[in-house]
Amino acid sequence: MISGVSVRIAVTGCAAFVGLIALAQGVATRNAPPAPKTAPSGRPFLASFEDVAVRAGLTAPTLFGNSLTKRYIIEANGAGLAAIDYDNDGWLDLFVPNGSRLEGFGATVAPTSRLYRNTGKGSFTDVTVKAGAALAGWGSGACAGDFDNDGDDDLYVTYWGPNALLVNSGSGEFSEQAARRGVAGPAKEWSSGCTFLDYDRDGKLDLFVTSYQQFDPATTPPPGKSSNCEWKGMPVFCGPRGLPFGRATLYRQLPNGSFEDVSNAAGISKARDFYAFTAVAADFNGDGWTDIYIASDSTPSLLFRNQKNGTFREIGTETGVAFNEHGFEQGGMGIGVGDYNRDGRLDIVKTNFAGDHPNLYRNTGGGIFEDTVLSAGLGINPQFVGWGVALADLDNDGWQDILQVNGHVYPELKDGPGEFYRQTRVIYRNLGDGKFEDVSGLAGPAIGARHSSRGAAFGDFDNDGDIDVAVLNMGERPSLLLNTHRGSAHWIRIELEGVASNRSAIGAVVTIESAGGKQTQAVLSQSSFLSQNDRRLHFGLGTANKVDRIIVAWLTGVTETFPAHAANATVRLKEGSSGTRP
Amino acid sequence: MTTVLLAVALLQAAADQLAARALEAAQAGDAVSAEKLWKEALGRAPNHHASLFNLGVMLHRQRRSADAVPLLDRAATVQPGYEVHLIRGQNLQHLERREEAIRAWLAALRFQPANVKLMQVVSLEYSKGRYFHEAAAMARQALRSAPNDLNLYLIAVKALQDAGNHDAASLLAAEAAAKFPDSARAQFEAGFHLQKRGATEKALAHLERAMALDANYEEPYYFYGDLLVRQSKYAESIEPLQKAIAIRPGYAPARVSLARALSNLDRVPEALVELESATIVDPKNAQPWVLLSQLYFRLGEEAKAENAKQTSLRLRREFPSVLEALQARPFPAR
Repeated sequence: MISGVSVRIAVTGCAAFVGLIALAQGVATRNAPPAPKTAPSGRPFLASFEDVAVRAGLTAPTLFGNSLTKRYIIEANGAGLAAIDYDNDGWLDLFVPNGSRLEGFGATVAPTSRLYRNTGKGSFTDVTVKAGAALAGWGSGACAGDFDNDGDDDLYVTYWGPNALLVNSGSGEFSEQAARRGVAGPAKEWSSGCTFLDYDRDGKLDLFVTSYQQFDPATTPPPGKSSNCEWKGMPVFCGPRGLPFGRATLYRQLPNGSFEDVSNAAGISKARDFYAFTAVAADFNGDGWTDIYIASDSTPSLLFRNQKNGTFREIGTETGVAFNEHGFEQGGMGIGVGDYNRDGRLDIVKTNFAGDHPNLYRNTGGGIFEDTVLSAGLGINPQFVGWGVALADLDNDGWQDILQVNGHVYPELKDGPGEFYRQTRVIYRNLGDGKFEDVSGLAGPAIGARHSSRGAAFGDFDNDGDIDVAVLNMGERPSLLLNTHRGSAHWIRIELEGVASNRSAIGAVVTIESAGGKQTQAVLSQSSFLSQNDRRLHFGLGTANKVDRIIVAWLTGVTETFPAHAANATVRLKEGSSGTRP
Repeated sequence: MTTVLLAVALLQAAADQLAARALEAAQAGDAVSAEKLWKEALGRAPNHHASLFNLGVMLHRQRRSADAVPLLDRAATVQPGYEVHLIRGQNLQHLERREEAIRAWLAALRFQPANVKLMQVVSLEYSKGRYFHEAAAMARQALRSAPNDLNLYLIAVKALQDAGNHDAASLLAAEAAAKFPDSARAQFEAGFHLQKRGATEKALAHLERAMALDANYEEPYYFYGDLLVRQSKYAESIEPLQKAIAIRPGYAPARVSLARALSNLDRVPEALVELESATIVDPKNAQPWVLLSQLYFRLGEEAKAENAKQTSLRLRREFPSVLEALQARPFPAR
């Protein structure tokens, strides 16, 4: 009889942060613990949000496959939405893409996107059919811009399948012209992000489109099939890892209003191996030319620097916005752009998958960034899968706060233990010293409500001088988080009209000076998560009852200074109308 | 009836004889004859436990796990016991049938419920399968039997950390540090988990104590220096980081952290040297290349920056697990 069996014990160092076996989930995540919360400032937070969607008539649910289980990743990512004033009546309307289901609809009618017209009286009217905005299929992202410079917003919507370009006639109707104008994209591409931009500064908007992946259910493994198809041991849909990568496409607008794919010539195609979501076009290095930042899922995020000669160079790694501060890939989703520390440079907030922190990339100058998420106090909620996000001054105190909407991708979680498919929203108040504090509990019931949210479009829907948020929720109606700001802080809203620049002024940068300080914002097409925010720029002014100067850096390279203006008003600035050029 | 019992008894006796001869042959080093005799015995009495077990063990020693497991399975059914389950588990582990191995060892533990060493093995095996919650529970169970075993604390802390139970990991590490005040390892673990939770000052105190206790233990020096870097105390971070590297020249994270400190002190050439060294000592690690790319970019050397970036991206694709955090999963029901 043999009995003595020696067993060798080997304890690996607890500090080691190294995987022992092959990748064990389909998405980048880090098991990041929550950072400690700092003591509350004790200051009241005067913004409060109420979900008025039902009352306002935003009632159509979105459908992205089965709500209880997701067999393929196409059913999980949802979509963004767009806050646009399509009829130029001064009230923000709302375009909400919709999804579909892989098994089809039989004799029933497939759901479509919705266009809700803001009546200006606290309600919306569904004008989808009348406006020609009923699009069926797997919707993903939306972006707006007056690409034909005719004075009204056009809309581009991305799909799994051909994308849609809704051209605004100016009389309340759209016509779909993507194929005709050369921007429909490949028939089997799963496009995600899009942004209008004028990269060559010719006064005509061009178009940049990202795709998440080359998705094909026929070749996608079923849930649980490999290590890329599980989450904490639970079989879930596969991906994005293990599935074919996406790509990015740059379309240049031609004189006849159609577009040509210049991705190769512009150097965009050189970037490879990424799962791209939100695309934001802005001048990140302050050289007057529009760059492009892309949040990538489970792959390095990308920053295309405009070389000022019709080409771009991808420098995300070099400039510090590809990874987190430790060099880890992240599950990037949404992007907010603003100037949270009021130094005149555009900073970036990016939402990521659960088990990780968001990024707060502080622009240190020249378009080089430093991730300050932990020192800023934003590392306290790694439980969220973050999507739509913005740097926005929610309480009008003059400092941009952060609102982030959340929701997991696996409904199989059944809301526990410790992980929830439906997650609350979160608000971080900017304390003005580079730090933020979580004030979600002070910001009204709509912030604490649980949904599996995706896109979020920020803007002043009721024109009352504060920022509201429309949110796309998976399998539900949207939310309209109306800001019932209680304070007396002042604000100003700036609406630009380009003349030599593109008429939407996309790419322009506005700096206001008030009470001895300055604030900077850029006019953006897409941001948040695959969404279009109000292009009117909203600045909180705190106790200042006027702005002393408004400086606009137009995309032509010309900077104009506009004179002082009283607070609590919308200022419409037309390019070349100031009479002053420094 | 009597006839049948008599026949069974005769077969059993014959099997006993064959098994005894087989054992003699095995002890004499004649494995071929031993195997033949045990199989002959099993032909007479298929449930002959001694033959099943000893043949299984001999095959185990010959590393013929695939042949050993069916015999040991049958032996465990006929006469369950600590050893048969233990050896079954080892063979199943050798066959990379981790879950079955764990179940076999759990069965062995039922016979020796205070076997701390086996509990350690089971906990580690759970961890290798990413059953981190179970690994932590098993290590805690072992701790109850051997509350003064630092190694058990370390296993449990690691499992709790991997399971994402950071609060519990930190608490247990603190408990170990209090219980073993003169253990550099215990002090380090407490400091490590405190810094991970953002309790920087407390973490620094534990790391300092670990450094004082063992001047040749590199990890406390690295984490101490890295914490200073993260606090922007770049000048103060240089010495502990250099000490960590002196102890372990192949410590790439320490070189990266040192490079970060140096570059922030405008000592860029020295930073580049550290990063180049890191790429040599840890050629699978993408992180030094990321920082190299950033430094070259700031220096205006865009071609070098691009090359470093491309290398970092290639390494990420080729060695993805180097920068990956694993997710816990539940141990499957049978």
